[in-house]
Formats: sequence, C-alpha cells, structure tokens
Amino acid sequence: MEENVINQSKDITIVEILDRVLNKGVVITGDIVISVAEIDLVYVGLKLLVTSVETMQEKRLTIVKPDQEKK
Amino acid sequence: MKKIIYAILSTNQSHTDISDLMNGMKGIMGADIYALSFNDISIAVSDFTSSKDLTNRELAIDFAGVIEALSQQVTLLPVRFGTFIKTDEIVQQLLINHYDSFLKNLQKVENKCEFGLKVLCDYETFSHKISAQAAAVEVQPSEYFSTNTIHTNYLLEKIKINKLEDSLFTYVDQLIEDISLQLTQINPDSKYKKMVTNSILLDAVFLVEKNKKDEFIQAISSFEQQHDALQFLVTGSWPPYSFVDIVIE
Repeated sequence: MEENVINQSKDITIVEILDRVLNKGVVITGDIVISVAEIDLVYVGLKLLVTSVETMQEKRLTIVKPDQEKK
Repeated sequence: MKKIIYAILSTNQSHTDISDLMNGMKGIMGADIYALSFNDISIAVSDFTSSKDLTNRELAIDFAGVIEALSQQVTLLPVRFGTFIKTDEIVQQLLINHYDSFLKNLQKVENKCEFGLKVLCDYETFSHKISAQAAAVEVQPSEYFSTNTIHTNYLLEKIKINKLEDSLFTYVDQLIEDISLQLTQINPDSKYKKMVTNSILLDAVFLVEKNKKDEFIQAISSFEQQHDALQFLVTGSWPPYSFVDIVIE
C-alpha cells in the first residue's frame, strides 16, 4: 500500500515536471532556434497523469514535493 | 556548436555573483553551465554537442533539475525545454532585444514560487450527487417534444448529459470562488482550468510568496476538509513555469 502511494507520487511528479518543461516557460521560436519534437513526451505525460491521479485514493490531501522526488 | 537555454535570471541581488553561482554546475549531458549577461539580467546556457535524440524524459527531467537548482539561488524565468540557439552572440542579442519583457516578468515572479493544485473526484459518485442536488438536471420530455419519435429518448439523454455538464461547470465555478476566498490572506496569482477530464474537476496553479508556502498548504488542507467528496492533490513548490508570459517569434 505504502509503496503504491510512493510510486504514484513519483509518477505524478514526473508528469508535472514534464508538463512544465515541455509546455510552459519562456517560448522562443523562429529562425534562431533549432527545434526538437516533443509530441511523444507530451502524450506519455498525459496518459500517465490520468492513470496516476485516478488511482490515488489512499490519502485525501496529497502533497507532492518535487525536491524529494527528483533525487 | 549549439547552445541550450535553461532560464532567464535576475542577477540584481547583492549576495549573488552569477559566475560563482554557476561555477561547477552541470547541465544536461554533463556540460558546464555558464551565463551570458546584459545589465542585471543573464541567460543560463550550456554547449550541446551530442547528436543524440533529445526527446526522452530523462533529459527533460535533468533540464528541470538545473532550473530547480538555479531557482534556489536567484529569481528566474524557466525557458521551455528544447530551446537551442546557434551561437552565444545570438543569445546575447536575444537578451538585449527582449530585456524589458524579461525584466517585467522577473519582477512579477520575484521571491515567489508556484504550486499546482488538482481537485479530483470519482465521477460516477460525484455526478449522481450533483444530479440529486440540481433540479436543473431534470429533463421533462414535454418541454422539448410534443410527440414521441424514435429519436426522443436518445435526444432526451443527450439533453440530460448537457445539463449535467452545465451543473458541473457551475459547481466548479463556485469551487474556484470558494478557493479564492480561502486564499484571500495569501493573495496568490492564480490560473484555473476547469473539467480537464471527468475525474479532474480543476487544474490550478498559484504563484505564492516564498515565505507563505506553509500558509498556502495549510489553507488548502483546511479547505479540503470541508469537501468530503473531493480529493486535493498539491504539487510544488516549483519555479514559476506557469506565470511566464513571453513568446518570442
């Protein structure tokens, strides 16, 4: 049970990180930029997010701290 | 050699020598990070020589780790992952050309951090609850059809679903209003996305002063205790990814 919660928290953290670094922040486009494809990563992120949040039932208020999960 | 950009940094902080800060700091693929500066703003970059495909999550997470580490030291604007620029000179020019915009955004997020909040529900249970509470969801066939046709039941079902969605949106609007009220003392900037999926009623982000982090978590925790049917998922704190309003074309 505890392991499940930890795994789901980790999944959510990864999704939240990917959502931010791929979709948010300063956007620079145009000729000066060499772009990279991002679609596959975004797809994986959304799928994982729905799976993780919909199965997280053990705790009512869940606080996921990225500082801890990224180590 | 191309450069990968991590973040725009405010270096107008007396305790911070930007070169010292970045001394020894590694970026993705182990490259040294360095700063290109103009006045009191810098851009954190590193060289990128590999031809390896960048679309994998490990590199994206490493990239986020660099931004997180920098954000512990200075106010910054994260740059979207995968932003490569050809030369230092072009990066420098970018900084000069968009200095005002960078400065304005840096001032907006100074000494602040971001929290995410997702409000979740069990859709089946929750929609029944909303239906039971909202008379507006009731559909009287006589209001819509004078006679029965083979399509009547199908259309009535569709109308009922639409009314339920309207009621859910109304509920979420009220939820947003209540959350805003709950956070009045903390007064964060906020952005809300409603009904992201059936189970995710609300996907919100808040820009909170760093010295009010605990207060924010406590306020959401208290609010959650008043809403038995919902689950609250708080993430953070994050660098202010969602409150950067700069698109350079």
